[in-house]
Amino acid sequence: MSTAVEPVTAEAAVLPGPRTVRVASGPDGSRGLVLVWRRRPLVVCVVALVVAVAAALVTITAGELGIPLSELPAVVAGQGTRIQHWVLYTTRLPRLLVGAGAGAALAVSGAMFQSVTRNPLGSPDVIGLGAGAAAGAAAAGLVWPGVVPVPVGAVLGAFVAVGAVWFGSGSGFSRPQRLVVVGIAVGAMALAFVQLALARASREDALVIAQWLNGSLAARTWADVRLIVAALVVLLPLALLLTRPLQVVEMGDEAATAVGVRTDPTRTRAVLVAVLLTAAAVSVCGPVAFVALTAPQIARRLTRSSGPGMVAAACTGAALLVVADLVAQYALPEQQLPVGIVTAGLGGVYLVFLLVREFRRSAV
Amino acid sequence: MNVADSPLVADGVTLAYDRLVVARDLDLAVAPGSFTVIIGPNGCGKSTLLRALARTLAPREGRVLLDGAPIDRMRSKDVAKRLALLPQGPIAPEAITVGDLVARGRYPHQGILRQWSAADARAVDAALRATEVDDLRERFVSDLSGGQRQRVWLAMALAQETDLLLLDEPTTFLDIAHQVEVMDLCARLHAEGRTLVAVLHDLNQAARYATHLVAMRDGRVVAQGAPADVVTEPLVQEVFGLASRVVPDPETGTPMVVPLRRTVPGSVQDQVVL
Ligand SMILES: Nc1ncnc2c1ncn2[C@@H]1O[C@H](COP(=O)(O)OP(=O)(O)OP(=O)(O)O)[C@@H](O)[C@H]1O
Ligand SMILES: [Mg+2]
Repeated sequence: MSTAVEPVTAEAAVLPGPRTVRVASGPDGSRGLVLVWRRRPLVVCVVALVVAVAAALVTITAGELGIPLSELPAVVAGQGTRIQHWVLYTTRLPRLLVGAGAGAALAVSGAMFQSVTRNPLGSPDVIGLGAGAAAGAAAAGLVWPGVVPVPVGAVLGAFVAVGAVWFGSGSGFSRPQRLVVVGIAVGAMALAFVQLALARASREDALVIAQWLNGSLAARTWADVRLIVAALVVLLPLALLLTRPLQVVEMGDEAATAVGVRTDPTRTRAVLVAVLLTAAAVSVCGPVAFVALTAPQIARRLTRSSGPGMVAAACTGAALLVVADLVAQYALPEQQLPVGIVTAGLGGVYLVFLLVREFRRSAV
Repeated sequence: MNVADSPLVADGVTLAYDRLVVARDLDLAVAPGSFTVIIGPNGCGKSTLLRALARTLAPREGRVLLDGAPIDRMRSKDVAKRLALLPQGPIAPEAITVGDLVARGRYPHQGILRQWSAADARAVDAALRATEVDDLRERFVSDLSGGQRQRVWLAMALAQETDLLLLDEPTTFLDIAHQVEVMDLCARLHAEGRTLVAVLHDLNQAARYATHLVAMRDGRVVAQGAPADVVTEPLVQEVFGLASRVVPDPETGTPMVVPLRRTVPGSVQDQVVL
């Protein structure tokens, strides 16, 4: 099969038009693989990745133990000092990779949820997934310690929360507005449980869990990297497969069914994949707040696309979390912040902006 | 008419939302090659029937047959290649352009590895031209007027390139010239061999364009047949509760409904009558 970047013919210039690169085969491009790429999302992805790599390089070079850029190739080639090796391979690289991977996973999860609920507020942070994970972590770490590890508790908590939202909204996920309201209630209950658990715990235990609850990328290991990479390798392709049907489901059940999309199975699969992505991210870095809310929205704005662009969201999420972690490490001179505090600050501002816009819209 | 020939049949369907039963044990066979128009008062179940025919609402009892086969057993994409639906009040996703929205009508013809083809481009082009929204292609759907938007949705259904077209009030929001244009477009599609089922509120338009009329009331089919047989003074009284005169349309000779004057005390008309 020959692949070629075809010139866009007058005939094919209709929808994707001059904004696409088509990878086609066959004399008239009517055979074999035809993927539609839009130029803008592609540019956004490249820019996001450049930002992520730049932030990563700054992270590696910064601080007392930082490796100067000029020495980096030598360290990678195995010629640096033992300390430099340790700094790169044991502390900074795993931390960066976990950050990028978790950012991507959270962003794709958010993009899928926002698409299913047709509402930016339908993101996992707002509908109680993060709070559910936190409650699960608190249960595993404080209330019934030793039964399951804290990250496993978090994953279970996320599933319990999404199950509660599913049943609570009565109609599965087909009523977006109801889902958001029920989700907020579930989130509030989960947070109440967390407070209760913290209040009853001993001071030291509570401190450890509280730190985890903020979401932190400190002291990540290669085991964490493997986990998040494995999750992405399995789940990202599934998310990509769901992009086109999800795009159509955004037109409402009736119009979507009319063009041949099975709406309920599409939604169920999307929610399942999205919960697993969030759960994977939460289990490596805690419930880092608001990346799932903001990253896909930023990506949508930048790409000006009308669907849940998974790849653009993933790149934006990765860049966002790597940059946020850089800020978290060096914002205060004496102290490292958990990255979740930085993203919560950023995302909180954005959430207020969204809510204000929502109120304006409903007030009209 | 023979049910066996019909491309689309509602066979004893009971249609309901949660607890509200809209229609009970309803039968309808769409005549092949017809331009069938459904009329009836607000809330009588026209849209509900159309939804059932387009398998976007599953009947509580009975079944819908597409080409003789139960529609709910067929692959959804295969159905979408046979019949398209213009729903009443569809939702446009945020920030979508006209061209992109119309292109979504091509979904059943595409696959994961074949996301676009020359045939897709041709179909979208033709649909945009037929509904005269060609020059709006790059505009956002959310920025359009109600009538423009309605034509864009119609274009999306046309881009599906199906033999069967179900249209729920295709002329709402349109000014009179565009109404006539859309109806002429429907007539042309019909003349090209497609089967159309449309819900219309304008009885005179319905009588002008339809080959078959179906009059509904309270979830039942009250009358069906050729417009000249269906649109009569007693029927308009029975279905809509409206006293009227039915006269021949001066232009086409099809039945035309003229409501009788009702005297409203104190109104200008009333004074003129006095
Ligand atoms: N999604 C829905 N959920 C619950 N009830 C509904 C729904 N859609 C319609 N109904 C009810 O079903 C009945 C029939 O509605 P339908 O939309 O079929 O009427 P219609 O004949 O198309 O009216 P119109 O001319 O106003 O479009 C009405 O009583 C309506 O309130
Ligand atoms: Mg209706």
